[in-house]
Amino acid sequence: MKDEAPTVIFLGQPNSGKSTLFNAIAGPKALTSNFPGTSCKHTHSLVNIEGRLLNVVDLPGAYSLNPSDPAEKIILTHLFQEKPDLVINVVDASILGRSLELTIELLELGFPMIIALNMVDLAEKKGVHIDSEKLGKILGVKVIPTIASHGRGIKELLEAAFLGLDNPDPVSSPPWSGDVEEEIGRLAAKLPPNIVIAGNPRFTAIKLIEAHKVFCLEILAEADPGLQEELVLAKKAIESKRLAPAYEVIAAERHHLAFKIFEQSSRILRGKRLSWEQRIDDVIMHPVLGYPILVIIFLAFFFLIFKIGSPLEGILLGPLGQLRAALLGWLGPGLIFHLADGLIQGVGGGAAIVLPYFVPLLFFMAFLEDLGYLSRAGFLLDTFMHRIGLHGKSVSPFVLGFGCNVPAVLSTRILESRRDRVITSLLIPFIPCSARTTIVLALVAFFLGPLYALGFYFFNILIVAVIGRLLSFFFKDPSPGLILEIPSLKMPSLANMIRKTYLELKSFVKFAWPLLVAGSVVLSLLHYLSLDRILNVAFSPLIVYGLGLPQELGITLVFGFLRKELSLIMMLQALGVDYKNLLTVISREQILVFTVFVSFFIPCLSTFAILWKEIGRRIAFISVGLSIAVAIVVSLLVRLFF
Amino acid sequence: MISLAQAPRGRQLKIVEIEGGEGVRRRLFALGFHKNDLIEVNAHGIFRGPLLVRNLTADTSVALGRGIVSRIMVDIVSDEG
Repeated sequence: MKDEAPTVIFLGQPNSGKSTLFNAIAGPKALTSNFPGTSCKHTHSLVNIEGRLLNVVDLPGAYSLNPSDPAEKIILTHLFQEKPDLVINVVDASILGRSLELTIELLELGFPMIIALNMVDLAEKKGVHIDSEKLGKILGVKVIPTIASHGRGIKELLEAAFLGLDNPDPVSSPPWSGDVEEEIGRLAAKLPPNIVIAGNPRFTAIKLIEAHKVFCLEILAEADPGLQEELVLAKKAIESKRLAPAYEVIAAERHHLAFKIFEQSSRILRGKRLSWEQRIDDVIMHPVLGYPILVIIFLAFFFLIFKIGSPLEGILLGPLGQLRAALLGWLGPGLIFHLADGLIQGVGGGAAIVLPYFVPLLFFMAFLEDLGYLSRAGFLLDTFMHRIGLHGKSVSPFVLGFGCNVPAVLSTRILESRRDRVITSLLIPFIPCSARTTIVLALVAFFLGPLYALGFYFFNILIVAVIGRLLSFFFKDPSPGLILEIPSLKMPSLANMIRKTYLELKSFVKFAWPLLVAGSVVLSLLHYLSLDRILNVAFSPLIVYGLGLPQELGITLVFGFLRKELSLIMMLQALGVDYKNLLTVISREQILVFTVFVSFFIPCLSTFAILWKEIGRRIAFISVGLSIAVAIVVSLLVRLFF
Repeated sequence: MISLAQAPRGRQLKIVEIEGGEGVRRRLFALGFHKNDLIEVNAHGIFRGPLLVRNLTADTSVALGRGIVSRIMVDIVSDEG
């Protein structure tokens, strides 16, 4: 792909409107998309723009090229792997000073670059007038003012991009203070040619000084004792002059340079924050008022998901049952039918049970995120998250977990510390996902009443809190705490929300669904080979004596691991009754015990696999042990007290 | 000089020192919080919750946990607000 089409990378800080701009340029015209396993939110599209084929890469936002969480590390890896022919740096004009800090880092890197000065309308409203030509002259790159949400400036940006591709100009950043530059220059001159990591010697020297750990440069430097010595000397020289750690000196240099350039290129007329936004924020982030609003918003959120999901599920499940019956008639009850049945159940289960709830959840979540409310919810809930040893940033993985645990575990990449990632990932399997919600609704809500179902949810969240509290005793090192940007409130764009939903959905479709189908086929085979009876006997000590349930339900435990939502169908099959007559063979108490046990007892196969892949094998097994223990304890308690 | 945790709401403050571990400091620098920046506290979360801190220099807002605000030292610049 790279051979014919030049690579153009979109890079910018979070909330700079990068994705909106990408959509305006590549969205509808994207010919192919693929999503390498390393990143769930990064798009790679071959785009035909005005007859020219471009390989356009949209990376998630990053505050700096010194990554502090795994998501940012991925960005860096891609930036170096792709070796872009052109970088389009998207800059939020309304906070130009801060945004330029990343721009300066990109100039240090030295790849050919142009700047999309985005949201200039917002800057004007704030009373900040930016002279884009002057800014471009100071930085030595083309600066195009854009308003991505209205499609303004796109044509000019594309023209500049083509011009940049045809006449690639290496860029360089304006110099810093003499004493710092001197040390960097000295170190850069001493670099052996084989360790220039990217860009140019100056960039490598800067990164050696400020972020050698992140770039694994330490090993390289250690392999060359002479260089190691030079590095220590350069750091010492900077630190003794400035009386601060070298990384802070460099950050401060960038900061001062950014604000100097900002002041040189802009006129600030009012410099006041938009008052309506301030007023809304005062209400929705109010220490008292904020919480009822939060509760209402999230109740509406789940209500809407349910209102959309439930009829869809009904519509989709009907034909699935008919297809199954038709197949049975056509193939007979042999091996081929069981294989085909497993396949259909797997594909259909994903389509009819998970997607109807998961797609709306992702969509509304994208809405809340783009609006800027999700981070505000993180602020409001931080206090409560602290009680369970976490902080506000874990809120969005948890919300995602209500849809499907797999992308929720993936999204813990936004957390900076491994400790927070591990605790959050261990808690996510206890969040009732769409599949488990289906069971709770079908069993608890139907046979015991909606209040019980609501109580079940409340109880479930309580359990998550208790486990979190207990887990935090085992992770002594304190969490670094909450550092979360609260972006200004914005009206979300529909195209952006659709794209986000689609990207998140990919991880479910690519990762969880195939495992769901495989699990389904295995179950069909078990059934065909009559292995279920053996399993029932094997599980009977727990099922019959521990939980007081009929022995036939032992097999459903295996189902719970392979596919949570199938536990219900299996239960009916195992007991040999239809849904409406369930109460004739099993009591309401037993239904409750069964639901509690099935919901908690093990993360499903897909969740287990993603835990293994993302967090590590040890944690995946700990998660299994933990959920089995919790399920047994909690269901015994329910049995005792109900 | 006081810690940001003790700073009154709505007053202009100047960052004198950012203490704490390297990870936290780097993160704050990346988000545009540096020494000498003017900031103000816009909101307090309930039950010793986080602080909503507005950076007046960079014109950005950040939610900061209690552990972090106790390590940011500030001077009160003005009495208005």
